Amino acid sequence: MTTNQSEPGAGEGEDEVAVDSPTEDAIEEAGGAAEAAEGTEPTGPGEPDPIAELAQRFAEIVGAESWSADHGLAKIKVTNADWVSAVSTAHQNGMPFLSFLSAIDWSQTVAVGDPLSDENVEERYELIIRLSSLASDDAITLSTDLSKYHPSIDSLVPVLPGADWHEREAAEMFGIEFRGHPNPKKLYLPDAFEGYPLRKSFPLLSREVKPWPGMVDVEGMPESESGPSTENPEATDGAGVEEEGAGDADA
Amino acid sequence: MQTLDPQAMAHISEVSVSVELQTADMTLNIGPQHPSTHGVLRLVAKVDGERVSSVEPVIGYMHRGYEKLAEVRTYPQITALVNRIDWVSGFANEIPFVVAAERLMGLEVPERAQYIRLILTEMARISSHLIFMSSYPLEIGAATPLMHALRERERVLDLLESVTGGRFHPNFNRLGGVKPAAGAGAQTKKVVQDLPAGFLADTRAAMGKVRDICDDLEGLVTGNEIFQARTIGVGIMPADKAAAFGVSGPNLRASGPDYDLRKHADYLPYDRFDFEVPIGRNGDCFDRYRVRLEEIRQAASIIVQAVDSIPSGPLQAKVPKIIKVPEGEVYVRAENPKGEMGYHLVSDGGRMPYRLKVRSASFSNLSVLPWLLEGQLVPDLIAILGSLDFVLGDVDR
Amino acid sequence: MGIIDKFGAPKPVTWLLNWSRKYSLWFFQFGLACCAIEMMAASGPRYDFMRFGIIPLPASPRQADLMVVAGTVTDKMAPAVKRLYDQMPDPKYVISMGSCSNCGGPYWDSYSVTKGVDQIIPVDVYVPGCPPRPEALMEGIILLQDKIQGEDVKEKWTERDHEPV
Repeated sequence: MTTNQSEPGAGEGEDEVAVDSPTEDAIEEAGGAAEAAEGTEPTGPGEPDPIAELAQRFAEIVGAESWSADHGLAKIKVTNADWVSAVSTAHQNGMPFLSFLSAIDWSQTVAVGDPLSDENVEERYELIIRLSSLASDDAITLSTDLSKYHPSIDSLVPVLPGADWHEREAAEMFGIEFRGHPNPKKLYLPDAFEGYPLRKSFPLLSREVKPWPGMVDVEGMPESESGPSTENPEATDGAGVEEEGAGDADA
Repeated sequence: MQTLDPQAMAHISEVSVSVELQTADMTLNIGPQHPSTHGVLRLVAKVDGERVSSVEPVIGYMHRGYEKLAEVRTYPQITALVNRIDWVSGFANEIPFVVAAERLMGLEVPERAQYIRLILTEMARISSHLIFMSSYPLEIGAATPLMHALRERERVLDLLESVTGGRFHPNFNRLGGVKPAAGAGAQTKKVVQDLPAGFLADTRAAMGKVRDICDDLEGLVTGNEIFQARTIGVGIMPADKAAAFGVSGPNLRASGPDYDLRKHADYLPYDRFDFEVPIGRNGDCFDRYRVRLEEIRQAASIIVQAVDSIPSGPLQAKVPKIIKVPEGEVYVRAENPKGEMGYHLVSDGGRMPYRLKVRSASFSNLSVLPWLLEGQLVPDLIAILGSLDFVLGDVDR
Repeated sequence: MGIIDKFGAPKPVTWLLNWSRKYSLWFFQFGLACCAIEMMAASGPRYDFMRFGIIPLPASPRQADLMVVAGTVTDKMAPAVKRLYDQMPDPKYVISMGSCSNCGGPYWDSYSVTKGVDQIIPVDVYVPGCPPRPEALMEGIILLQDKIQGEDVKEKWTERDHEPV
């Protein structure tokens, strides 16, 4: 939803957070407002939204299962079987530029980091590829879901040679098998490396030995009365000479 | 050849010119530590005489795992991490990330902050391209431009440093704006200095110097006969091939497409400035060099325009102390000095991203290398490699 | 050098040897990451560390006295670092430049980064910073020169004999 600001509900909620002191409630509220705004969206656009139109158009071209257009991201979901043909169709229909290919591990249990807040998310690997046009601002993201148990899909390299390195990266990072990839070797990691680092189940051993001291910064910070004023008194030409005193405050 | 009978020797030489000289393929290993590979790239080249028959780049020597680390760091901490991806244009790396998070949070960044971001981004572009201008001729054999370009680069770094406190890892962006000046917090609450005194005038002067160095480089490098002989018609990359491999930035524009995300993507107010997107015709090494040289001039022009029209106002939108980014998925791309840099940010409403995919320009720019080097001469290998202007941190992430 | 091995060098000889060694350090630029750019700047026109007698020329570690490890050492790169260090002739010195090669730096919890180059090779001087400014690198070099000046030649030579080949 690029036109997020025009949505009255979402806009107000976030403004409130901005003005209020940062209590947990206010933040929750903001999250809630944004979620509500999203919830209304995915079925069909109420107002003419160029991103939604783009997503719809390409969803028809590639024969998609579903599409969405949140936050300016035209996302089109296809089935595993359609993956190669959908990408190649989109590639030949005005989307010649391969931006990236990667995956997302949707997982309820995580070894490090925050777990998913939403317990209803289906556990899966989501493979995404982004293609864009060279003539206009248009760009689409195609996605497909792979099973958590044995992620495997046909390789795009025969139709899109540029996907070679991206697939190798996704393979070593997520353990996704790309059937028919001409050179399925590790790309980044040493050959002896075990595990798939970007899987949510992959632990970071250094953290287990010693928890990060940096986390102190964001936990239990005392509520100060207000942040530094961000008003800039000086008009156009930088800060004037009279402000030199402020500069050496950290000395 | 035990005997040195002149007649026999003459005979042998006649024979040897009349048949094609057969040599066995040789495997040539370049790197991972080699002066011309810009860091730790390893190339395994199969050479047939003077021709390269195939090249396999081996990367990963600088893989630091940004995408995993971003999952265990909070949003404000990540800006410190991501500006080290492409280390010669650190400031520019922060922009798409903070814009992505701001888009999910629905933050409106104040005008002045956007202008400061834009000015510093263009400075990062100049500094990155000046590194190219110093190292690329050096690889071809011209050592003088290195000193000239590095000298001017220091001027740009001085400006960056005077604002951000860092020479090229500024960590200056905050969600919702840019950092208020150092030391301005607790002690002098009312007065916040944003740009240092005299910054705008210094910038104007420095941009004049940057234009001068461009003219110097035209004379030193562009018109140089040896440089032209080494680069014109070498390493030609057609536009469709480049696009299919995701080659972006000056490398793509040298092949013809007028594709600049400063015009096509909405992340900073570039639409308010008048600038041209230089493009090349042939897509050879020389065009890639020319496009970058011209981009320095355009960047200098954008900076001067921005400095002339920078609005006053606050530097930061109001944001909560504990930053939680609402649930959502967003991709923000930006025209970095090396090409399209983008972040696919997936948030589940927490303090840390659920997934941060880093789309870095050099990774895709380098992935075309095996195709580009096939059948080229061995001496051109370094010329082509250098012309792609990659940074290993941006390749390996 | 058998005499020095046994009895050590007289003080003036030691002083002279060290003095001449410390001002002609051939410097192998092990540029790995961000710090390499600052190292480049340090050899550039503004900072110009050649005036300290640092010669940043050898293309091969076999001619170098000093190696500056500038940047993140990853587990994949570590064997190459060790190998290039082994190729350097004795006496040899190492400066670890930047937080990454000191201890892992911002990547302290990464799955692919070596937490400090001193895990694989001995380090003489650590230069902190991320990245250290060229001035910091130059101070590191001066510290190393002080260290070389104070060295006992006998110790240095016998140390070499005991080192594995």
